[in-house]
Amino acid sequence: MRDPRSRHRSPPASRSSTAENPTKPTLRVGLLAVLFTVGFAVLFMRLWFVQLAVGPEWARQADQNIIRVESVAAPRGNIVDQNGIVLATSRPQLVLEVDRAALPVEVENDVIQRLAAILDVSPVEVRGQVERARSGEVALLTDFLVDTDTAYVVMEQRRSLPGVTVKALPVRGYLRGQLMGHVLGHIGLPSADDLERLPQLDANTPIGKLGVEREYDDFLQGTPGKIAYRINAQGDVLDVFGDPEEPVQGSTLRLTLEIPIQEAVEEILVDAIELSNALKEDREPTDPTRIPGPTERAAALVMEVDTGAILAMASYPNFEPEAFVGGIDVDTFEELSSRQAFNNLVIQGLKPPASTFKVITYMTAVEEGILPEGVSSPDEPIQCSPQLQADFVDPSQLVWRNWTYPESDGSQNLHDALRRSCNIYFWQIALSIWELKDDEPEYEDVVQDWARGLGLGRGTQVDLPFENEGILGDRRLFEEWQESQPWRVRKEGWLGGDLMNLVVGQGPILATPIQMAVAYASAVNGGTVYQPRVADRIESSEGEVVRTMEPRVLRTLDIHEDTVESLRKDLASVVSRGTARRAFDSMGSAADLIGGKTGTAQAFIDQDGKFHDSTAWFIGVAPIDDPLWVVVVMVDEGGSGGAVAAPAARAIFQYLLREPVTALEAGEDTER
Amino acid sequence: MALVSRTWEGVGGLFRDRPKPTPDVIMFLLMAGLMALSGVMVYSATFVRLEADIGDPSAAMRRQLVFAGLALTAFIAGSLIDYRHYRRMLIPLYVTTIVMLIAVLFFPPHQGASRWIPVGPFQFQPSEFAKVALVVVLAGFLAAKPERKLKWDRLGLALLLTVVPGYLIFQQPDLGTMLVFGFIAVGILFVAGTGIKQIVVLIIAGVAGVIAVFQLEVLRNYQMQRLAGFFDQSYDLQGVNWNLYQSQIAIGSGQLFGRGLFQGTQTRLSFIPSQTTDFIFTTVGEQFGFIGGSAVLIVYAILVWRVLMVAAGAPNRFGVLISVGMASLLSFHIFVNIGMTIGLVPVTGLPLPFLSAGGSAMIAMAGGLGIVNSVWRSRTPVGEFQQVR
Repeated sequence: MRDPRSRHRSPPASRSSTAENPTKPTLRVGLLAVLFTVGFAVLFMRLWFVQLAVGPEWARQADQNIIRVESVAAPRGNIVDQNGIVLATSRPQLVLEVDRAALPVEVENDVIQRLAAILDVSPVEVRGQVERARSGEVALLTDFLVDTDTAYVVMEQRRSLPGVTVKALPVRGYLRGQLMGHVLGHIGLPSADDLERLPQLDANTPIGKLGVEREYDDFLQGTPGKIAYRINAQGDVLDVFGDPEEPVQGSTLRLTLEIPIQEAVEEILVDAIELSNALKEDREPTDPTRIPGPTERAAALVMEVDTGAILAMASYPNFEPEAFVGGIDVDTFEELSSRQAFNNLVIQGLKPPASTFKVITYMTAVEEGILPEGVSSPDEPIQCSPQLQADFVDPSQLVWRNWTYPESDGSQNLHDALRRSCNIYFWQIALSIWELKDDEPEYEDVVQDWARGLGLGRGTQVDLPFENEGILGDRRLFEEWQESQPWRVRKEGWLGGDLMNLVVGQGPILATPIQMAVAYASAVNGGTVYQPRVADRIESSEGEVVRTMEPRVLRTLDIHEDTVESLRKDLASVVSRGTARRAFDSMGSAADLIGGKTGTAQAFIDQDGKFHDSTAWFIGVAPIDDPLWVVVVMVDEGGSGGAVAAPAARAIFQYLLREPVTALEAGEDTER
Repeated sequence: MALVSRTWEGVGGLFRDRPKPTPDVIMFLLMAGLMALSGVMVYSATFVRLEADIGDPSAAMRRQLVFAGLALTAFIAGSLIDYRHYRRMLIPLYVTTIVMLIAVLFFPPHQGASRWIPVGPFQFQPSEFAKVALVVVLAGFLAAKPERKLKWDRLGLALLLTVVPGYLIFQQPDLGTMLVFGFIAVGILFVAGTGIKQIVVLIIAGVAGVIAVFQLEVLRNYQMQRLAGFFDQSYDLQGVNWNLYQSQIAIGSGQLFGRGLFQGTQTRLSFIPSQTTDFIFTTVGEQFGFIGGSAVLIVYAILVWRVLMVAAGAPNRFGVLISVGMASLLSFHIFVNIGMTIGLVPVTGLPLPFLSAGGSAMIAMAGGLGIVNSVWRSRTPVGEFQQVR
């Protein structure tokens, strides 16, 4: 009442109690208090809801928040030979791990520079490795194997290397250097394609890329373990949570191959290449456009005739699988690539089988009774003349010369023709077929049908990746090619000359050594075609047998016992009296146990004008009366089969038969 | 009548006869208790990291306790200075505030915002003091004339006084603090006597303003994302909604009794960004559960209730409006901050009074409460009124 203004200002006709009560502010304060009370009540209820109604679910998430589950790499399974000798195993190896979640982006460059300096590699390489992991994920720098000294340096500099840790990982170790390199293959980190194809793969765990490492990867991989860590929001590990799941080592792969045989075969193969090069040097250069380059590639295979089990498989040039452990360096890789060292010629090397194919033509002739015109029995001879006029067949090749040209090779029946590798006789068979087809068209492909039955022009299903299927030409294939690859065939299509070439293993036929091995094995065992294989069985890391690879029959051919008998005899005569005789000289009487066939693929000049020397083949079987093994030797551009391949095969047979292995000396230079 | 008039005009009357002004002990104790809790909570959220990083687990807590000491000093200073002096200093106070808010824009931004002026090892945040200054200035302006009903022109002027610093703060950018200004103004104007019509007009203007903000795209990208995140709380848990998600995990996992002091994994292991500042309530919720969380809520409710009681018992309009302003300031911070940690309101950077780590807010608010206490000390005890009646 002291201030008259207060009264004066009161509105005369205010509504409500405030009219006579000037404590309107107190009322409004009261309203405000009500409002705030409502606010607090809402907070209270929401808190009740979050903490009590759905609290347990949040508590579960809080626990998940702090657990990081990591996969623990499993050691890869061992690879052992037939006798259990270890070829490939797993050993612990220190590698660096970079957790990109714990590596702040702004210092990433700095850390990469430091690591590059410690590892003595370029920062670009380190960055490449780090960036294999997406940001926020863990990258294993598996390309840089770390020794203990380096590991200590990294650990000492831990403060300036956030997110970098040293980890012990099981890595592949190969104990035998280059031995069996192509069979073992190699490992490598999964590519983007692999990861897309097989999403269960871990980007940091190497997988098999070649050889049995690839083929049997599922077994060799093992089962990664799991370990849960308690972490904080920065990803720092605090302790181990719960019981870790131990990793299980991959299964042991036992090969059919035997280390001693393999060692012998690899050595002999290198000797064969040396022999071939020595012969090339000794030879008088006749034509300056036909000077052969050095021999560099060769392949050899020892396979069991009655099981398909491979005892030795060698391809040269070769490589050390170990080079791929922890990533192969670029220079080594490019050097090996330029020499095609990763090619396993046994399953990938496509060559004309040349005269070795005559065995198939021989089988066809005897089984189908298709002989040269005017000949009624395989024992009836014709003249193995120096050359053959076949102008009625096609215009491309009017004169066909035997390898003995200008000499005649005398009077020969089918058996002689195989022994002496007489092309004239086999061409006459082709001409008979060509004539026969006019009346009985189903006979046109009779040679190819037999070849296909024996395994040519199709995969042998060997348990190794990237096998080449080869080419087995016939009218249908040529027609297909005219559609799809017209540059490969002339426009007239399939002609008699093509068949003439084919029956002596030239022209439209390419085969791998393993295909030829399967063909010979099936022919001499009476027609059972086995799947060739390098794996014998799979055992768990504790030694329990997981799976045994039984011999697998792909198909059986109906071959008369007489035919098989006759073929074996004639193959034996090739060694005792024929084109391979000289090569087996030093073997003495043990050579009687061997049968085989030489082959010499024609030398040629390619489109670039480069001369390619003949490719030397020898395919042998022993013991010839009751065959156990088939041996294939192929020396790419190595010269004559009789001169180069047959001596190498002889040495391999000497080893298999426990005969003293005599030095490689040139055999007879035949078939060219 | 006598009661009323004395409430308003008791200045120099009954007060002079009062033997000794008594401080609001409850208010003081609640505030000091919150500050002590703040030290413990900051410690629980930082000791693991600090131990690992600098080998000193209590560094952040000690810093916080220093701030608490300064804040208590500010409270005592505010209590001892007779709040009526501020009436003569309204213009310099307002001008200083505006100058500071302009000045801060010229300092280098920190985490994308220009909110701080470095002072030695500390960061001085003018907007926190500006809030309290606005309370005093608006209260002083509106109390200058003891009107029953606010005139339109004075309403407009009051809004202008609010909008100028509000705009400057929006430039920092600091949307949350700008909204605090608005809420303070609304609270004070409401008690100062806005009429129904004016309230309706204000509400319409407010709605129009919100629409304009969206239509004119004044909001920054991150502000829009936070809003979007609020409306779909399951969206982008690793990004926009990370804070909210982790914060709810922390509080929710506390359940009834909490995980125990220093036991909360979310708190200890620093899962929540800004955990000692804007998200300090998560440490309480996780470690002490619903019991601890609601205890803190009750403490705040009592504190606000005390301030409103001071308003109700204030000897003059200025005191009433200051107290109402401070009550609005506190409650808005409490609602928005706690509301955001439990998913009730979008994420905004407002500190929780007396709990969040940081000096400026704590000192400014404690000083503000000191002024309220000063109002309380100059009150007319209710009992005396009744005797007079």
